[in-house]
Amino acid sequence: MTLRQFPKPLLAWAITLLALGTVAVVIWAVAPTYATVRAGRADAGYLESGDCRKCHETNYASWRATFHRTMTQEAGPESIVGDWERDNTITYQGVRSEMTRENGAYWMTFTGVDGNTQKHEIVRTVGSRRIQQYLTKTGDAWSRLPIAYDLVQRRWMHLNGSFFYPDGTSYTQHVAEWNVNCVFCHNVKAQPGLNWENRTWKTEVAELGIACGACHGPAGQHAQRALSPVTRYRWQFKDQIAPAKSVVHPAKLDSDRAAMVCGHCHGQRIPEPPQRIRSMMSVGDPYDPGENLREFYKPVQREDKVVSTEGPHGEKVNFSFATRFWPDGSPRLTAYEYQGMTRSKCFTAGKPGARITCISCHSMHDGDPRGQLTEKMKTNAACNQCHDKFSQPAQLIEHTKHSAESTGSLCYNCHMPKIVYGIMAAHRTHDITNPQPEETIRSGKPNACNQCHLDWSVNRVIAETKRLWPNAKGSETSDPRFDEPEGQRSLFAGDAVTRALTAAAMAPATNTNAPLLLEAMQDTYPIVRYFAANALAAQHPALPKPDYLAPTSAREATLQTWYPLWPAELRQAAREARERLSATRSETDVEVGE
Amino acid sequence: MSKSENKLASRRFRGFPSASMPSPSHPSAGLIRQGWISLALWIAFGILIEGFSAFRSPAYLDDSVRREMFRLAHAHGTLLNLVLLGAAICAHLNLIRLGPMTSLGLRSAVLLLPAGFLFGGLWHFKDEPGLGIALVPVGAVLLLATVIYISLTLPRR
Repeated sequence: MTLRQFPKPLLAWAITLLALGTVAVVIWAVAPTYATVRAGRADAGYLESGDCRKCHETNYASWRATFHRTMTQEAGPESIVGDWERDNTITYQGVRSEMTRENGAYWMTFTGVDGNTQKHEIVRTVGSRRIQQYLTKTGDAWSRLPIAYDLVQRRWMHLNGSFFYPDGTSYTQHVAEWNVNCVFCHNVKAQPGLNWENRTWKTEVAELGIACGACHGPAGQHAQRALSPVTRYRWQFKDQIAPAKSVVHPAKLDSDRAAMVCGHCHGQRIPEPPQRIRSMMSVGDPYDPGENLREFYKPVQREDKVVSTEGPHGEKVNFSFATRFWPDGSPRLTAYEYQGMTRSKCFTAGKPGARITCISCHSMHDGDPRGQLTEKMKTNAACNQCHDKFSQPAQLIEHTKHSAESTGSLCYNCHMPKIVYGIMAAHRTHDITNPQPEETIRSGKPNACNQCHLDWSVNRVIAETKRLWPNAKGSETSDPRFDEPEGQRSLFAGDAVTRALTAAAMAPATNTNAPLLLEAMQDTYPIVRYFAANALAAQHPALPKPDYLAPTSAREATLQTWYPLWPAELRQAAREARERLSATRSETDVEVGE
Repeated sequence: MSKSENKLASRRFRGFPSASMPSPSHPSAGLIRQGWISLALWIAFGILIEGFSAFRSPAYLDDSVRREMFRLAHAHGTLLNLVLLGAAICAHLNLIRLGPMTSLGLRSAVLLLPAGFLFGGLWHFKDEPGLGIALVPVGAVLLLATVIYISLTLPRR
């Protein structure tokens, strides 16, 4: 039988099958191989966000809008946000820094008081929400430069303006090596690549910035299986648990493991056992999302210290984390949210694996990128998920002793007050507690009540607390400092973190506290002056804003225009309060761990 | 057009097969009916999605899967029905042979392909078309087989 004699319908189907076979072969030939991506490395199986986008377009888009994505970026017009052309200089402690753009590259030039000059090319950026920091590369190492751009105030700043060091601290105090530290949390699956023998680096990451892999782990197997449409549709109908899909979905993990995914970075940690630091620095971060974080790390607590005779540069290390916590062990810096949440009753009273976790309130693919909270979760609805009886106004009022619409009836304000500092802002603590005014007397830790009632003394707050909530603990003290308005006392007598948080709580300034804030502009810590200047400027935006980083004489010249706004006796009282209270205060430098 | 022009035109197209509509019993009549009616429907659907765009309908614009599926449905619906009409005209002019099975295959394919995209977008999974998309490969294979069969059975000149 010849081809022409072959029945035409059969021939047509044969050719159709042949064509389909050819199509199948072509698809198979060009199919990507995800299963073996980065094989042999610490980040084996980790995909880049572009790979995930092919199937998860909406999740990719929602992640792209977050500050996680832009945490670390290659320097370029798309990523650089500072002003490199007009307002492009800053002089701090006598060192003049000039930021310039030359032939498409970005440069920082530092000229010291001795006239010596250093010029560094910017190759990467870190951060995009509050401040943007800049990395230069020397040999095989990236270093953070001391000048950053304040994205909120739209100005250049020295990093001493963000971290808790006083004026006069070494200009290069905050020059940090990216390979050693920042790389771990600001990127996906860091591999510092330190050769301990010759101290060289070959640093790699699965992806710059905090991308899909940071929360979902290695997805190579998942993506390989998802190449088949049959598998994909089977997944849609059979809602398997995450491991069956070969990728981590934090919402499907038990609550403790889900918290660890976030806690990996939002819970500063040290290697466990400490010797693991060697393999971390050479091979890379051992943790993958979904695993038990505590098998690899110990979340840092107040009593922890790092003591080593051999740091990454052969240096001795002896470092205490105590100043990063309030004396009661509650974190007072950001990036310790995991420690805060896990010590709160909401966590400890819950059933392991089925209790509060980060995504009980936060959404990584939804809501406002500033905090990753939906509008609903910014309200009492967050707490009402468990404490639903307070969704009734009558019961809420009975509980809070404030009107239902008052800020005193917003759960967050009393149970998660802003007593944590992080990158130019006061943040809510994640150590969810009942207000503890007596803790202020005991340890100096700010209490929720005085965050609003700044003009009340701690003793008055305790008395009111006992009157309104007869079962409340704590008793007044005979220490006369706690008979002073707490805003005034903590603004001058607290340590630098307390003073900064108090100044932040005073924004916008009022006629009562403005003279105090003017006095706070004399503080030796730039970050305290930063919050004080912002609070004052919020009250009188038309007046020239005092420059918190300017030398004392320049600041004083600006403040001269502010002084006549208030009676001389008020300013004198504020000055006396500052001198009296600051004489007894603690001056502890705090190294901010971000 | 004047009477003389009419005569000229009819002389120019002398030998061209009759331009009159095929009788309802002719195999191509059903194709033409389906083609025009479907074309009208898919054009109307095109206007609908243009309206969604013009009036910024979130149900369409904010849903990337639906947007893509609806666009594909509109594009396939209009173009394949033009193909169907072309096939009907060719059959009417005896340029191709359309047996009952071929005709059914073609008509089914032209129906299934855009309908698959439409239903795949109307109800869908997150980032994945709905089950209606299963009609698309069925329609595509049917279309390919039918077109190959038509090619194999072209009348010899």
